Amino acid sequence: MGESAWLNGLLWLPALGMVAVALLPRGRDSLVRSFTFGCMVLQFAIAAFLYQRFDGTVAGLQFATDVPWIRDWGVGYRIGLDGLNVLLVLLTAFLGPLLVAGAWSAVHKDVKLFHAMVLFIQFAMLGTFLAQDLFLFYVFWEAMLIPMFLIIGLWGGERRIYATLKFVLYTAFGSILMLAALIYLVLHAHGTNGYMTFDLRHLSGSQLPLNTQLWLLSAFALSFAIKVPMFPLHTWLPDAHVEAPTTGSVILAGVLLKMGTYGFMKLGFPLFPEAARAMMPVIMTLAVVSIVYGACLALVQTDIKKIIAYSSISHLGYVMLGLASLDLIGIQGAILQMVSHGLVAGGLFLLVGMIYERTHSRAVADYGGLARMLPVFSVFFAILTLASIGLPTTSGFAGEFMVLLGAFNAAWPAHLAGNDMPLALAVIAVSGVVLGALYMLWLAQRILFGEARAPHAPLADLDARESVILATIVFAIFAIGLFPREPLAKTELAAREFQQRVAGETIQPGSER
Amino acid sequence: MNWHEVVKAMLPEHLLLAGMVILLLLEILRGRPRDGFVAAFLTLAAAAAAALTLHVQGHVGAPFPGHFSVGPDASLAKFALIALALPVVLISRDDFAETRYYVLLLAALYGACLLVSSDSLPTLFLGLELMSMPVYALVLLAQLRADSAEAALKYLVLGGTATATFLMGVALLYGWSGSMSTATFAAALGSSDTLPVAGVVLVVASLFVKAAIVPFHGWAPDAYEGASVPVTAFMATIIKAGVLFAALRLFGTAPVMRPLVDVLAVLPLVSMIWGNVAAIRQTSFRRMIAYSSIAHAGYLFYALLGAGPGRAQAVIFYVIVYGIMNVLAFTVLPRGTDDERSDRLESLQGLYQRRPFAAIMLAVSMLSLAGLPPLPGFVAKFLVFRNVLAAGYTGYAVLGLVASYLGIYFYLRVIQYMFMDPATADQPAGQPRRLALAASLLCLVPAIVLAFFPGWLLDRF
Repeated sequence: MGESAWLNGLLWLPALGMVAVALLPRGRDSLVRSFTFGCMVLQFAIAAFLYQRFDGTVAGLQFATDVPWIRDWGVGYRIGLDGLNVLLVLLTAFLGPLLVAGAWSAVHKDVKLFHAMVLFIQFAMLGTFLAQDLFLFYVFWEAMLIPMFLIIGLWGGERRIYATLKFVLYTAFGSILMLAALIYLVLHAHGTNGYMTFDLRHLSGSQLPLNTQLWLLSAFALSFAIKVPMFPLHTWLPDAHVEAPTTGSVILAGVLLKMGTYGFMKLGFPLFPEAARAMMPVIMTLAVVSIVYGACLALVQTDIKKIIAYSSISHLGYVMLGLASLDLIGIQGAILQMVSHGLVAGGLFLLVGMIYERTHSRAVADYGGLARMLPVFSVFFAILTLASIGLPTTSGFAGEFMVLLGAFNAAWPAHLAGNDMPLALAVIAVSGVVLGALYMLWLAQRILFGEARAPHAPLADLDARESVILATIVFAIFAIGLFPREPLAKTELAAREFQQRVAGETIQPGSER
Repeated sequence: MNWHEVVKAMLPEHLLLAGMVILLLLEILRGRPRDGFVAAFLTLAAAAAAALTLHVQGHVGAPFPGHFSVGPDASLAKFALIALALPVVLISRDDFAETRYYVLLLAALYGACLLVSSDSLPTLFLGLELMSMPVYALVLLAQLRADSAEAALKYLVLGGTATATFLMGVALLYGWSGSMSTATFAAALGSSDTLPVAGVVLVVASLFVKAAIVPFHGWAPDAYEGASVPVTAFMATIIKAGVLFAALRLFGTAPVMRPLVDVLAVLPLVSMIWGNVAAIRQTSFRRMIAYSSIAHAGYLFYALLGAGPGRAQAVIFYVIVYGIMNVLAFTVLPRGTDDERSDRLESLQGLYQRRPFAAIMLAVSMLSLAGLPPLPGFVAKFLVFRNVLAAGYTGYAVLGLVASYLGIYFYLRVIQYMFMDPATADQPAGQPRRLALAASLLCLVPAIVLAFFPGWLLDRF
């Protein structure tokens, strides 16, 4: 139990921090900022410590806590680290201090409420990743809506209220059907197990008729696919991203979107393996459509933030493709791609936020020749652009390459058996890489090179605070890109388990782990 | 009749009665305005403590066998009703100096306690009427607006119709079974003969009127808007709770069979949809809350679809959470001298800038009413829909959940007004008052406890 205290500390630190921020006196803005930053740094330290101690060779939960919460329904406060969430927890904790530091000079309105909400969403995000109980998962999953609603709606751009309502109403619609499916699943498990529980280790829908499984998985998948977002449920994302303040965009791109893919990985597919296999062609197709469609839309945008927003749709399409390939390398690649995209898109949004603070413009056409005007900014922009494209030695390469390898691995036997569709999808997915290079390099070319111009020029280059934030992200990108083996070793066992559970032909419900 | 039981099991009722007598004596003898408020508050506190003690002791007794009995669930329900009235009384002092207001309030509570314990249909009827009658007067009492009288009359006429309908239904049930026991109703639920089904439908229809279920909801928006703030809070929580407890008493744990299930599911479902959709168009806060309460009445009647002990658990938990959150909203509402204007939703604009505590409390209340986790309203909603699903009505559960989704928008809009819109110049100042703060805390503390430890209450059933 001694070890689980660290994980509880990690989860509850932001919640306690939120209460403390609320109690701080009004008008002491720098105190609020420093205090929140301190909380986030401490939290990252705990997460890094837990990551170090996490043993990738042991199956099952580590640092777990399991205490009854609502005894009558078998709901427990069950949290723990496993191979699927360990990297995402680390990513969330890593981005925390950077969020606060990035908003240091950008937020001047209602500073207390802002930082309280950032801590709140941090708490909810960590809770969603750590939850090992379906009820607890849902509570955290939905709780994320409240701080995000306020962050976009209070500190966002001109059309912020439209954007934030669209975001909440979209995501809440998915969740409401998930709630119905979730209760149905638990009641069914009550029937087969003989006791009522929300413990994920004891839940499985594999004894349900395939038809029912398909319905339930569809309800879960709708909720997750909206969050990812997958084509055609993506239309909330560009609005939310463009109108959100930088912090909101970084939270969205960095962590929130991964909730969707994590949901598929943790709940959707493993709970309904037969239905998941039956739906795989549809999911793969939608993933590939998202890759290409997102990239094409990114190509024609004139707003820098929108380009990165649409690129997120494309990049998360790779994650879904990797998961749907049900190939070990593909699954591992998907996990790595989630982390990589969190870092790269988060970094790019921070960069856009930094230039926007100076010029109040996000239009591509307003900029040119920044390489000469803002050399430090441009170096970081170039590095992150290359990481987004997936240049070798960056994290983006490792993730995308493994996903595509996995997709081909999975497509080849099907091809030999006469089914060419997976192979065709994999080939189309590769073309997404080319499109990705096209829109990102074109963007970089237009704003970094050519005739020097920018609104409100001359502009000050990035200061020390901003440079340190970005250098930290770039460091992490290269660390993963150069040494992907280290994180992958922690996730391999869990990825294998996921693969066996979803792809395996004989599943024993309740006996897993 | 068992005298020892009459004293002990009916202690909350006796205390309420004693409070009423003391209040009337005070009115005659002294006539100092503030006394009524203090006496009413102390009476309620004592009655709530008595009900809680009976619940914790698990006291089971029947002072009047066949008519009036007490069990742990009934005591808990009484405690909820009386305790919810505490914050309502706290926010009443500024509106009502007269003692008669508090007498009427206690009388309505007495009726609610009576129906919670009733075993026979006449006792239930007595409780229901004793609860409703004072409220007709309460709506009229403030007279802040010209249309208060119209609202009260509408409420009175519809309430009278409901009474007649209830009696007709009871007569049919008596004709069918020859018994006046509430068990007759439960037995009729399983029947498919015309006579008992007609009796059940009439009784349920009268409850629908009193709980403002579509299409019998017409009185609610007018009455909520026409009454003064504390009375609206009282109607939206305690009266609604009383009606639902009456339904719970009638339904017991008996399953509902086929022809009746659809009656019981469709109208509440329509209420959820219509209440949530119509609330979007409102410009007055209290009218919006009226439509919200119409939708919530729908969820509450939904909870009756499932059978067994889960039914009492769902109804009582939902009523407690919904009541706490509704009263919380009313305790922090900005109040001005110009009632009509301070009731407009726009008067909430920029509230966070002016009174951050009030804005956060109102936001908590709205999010909980919308059923978003981690607020306790979510657990309540979960409980209701779990019951409906467990009873096998998947279609109704999914439709109900989608209907509840429709409600999210207007609750969020209140938050948008308070946090995201700038304040306009001519807003009523709305001074924070110490009593209202105490009332908010009285709601907030249990709300936090229920958010973190819902099991603490749920495991009591």
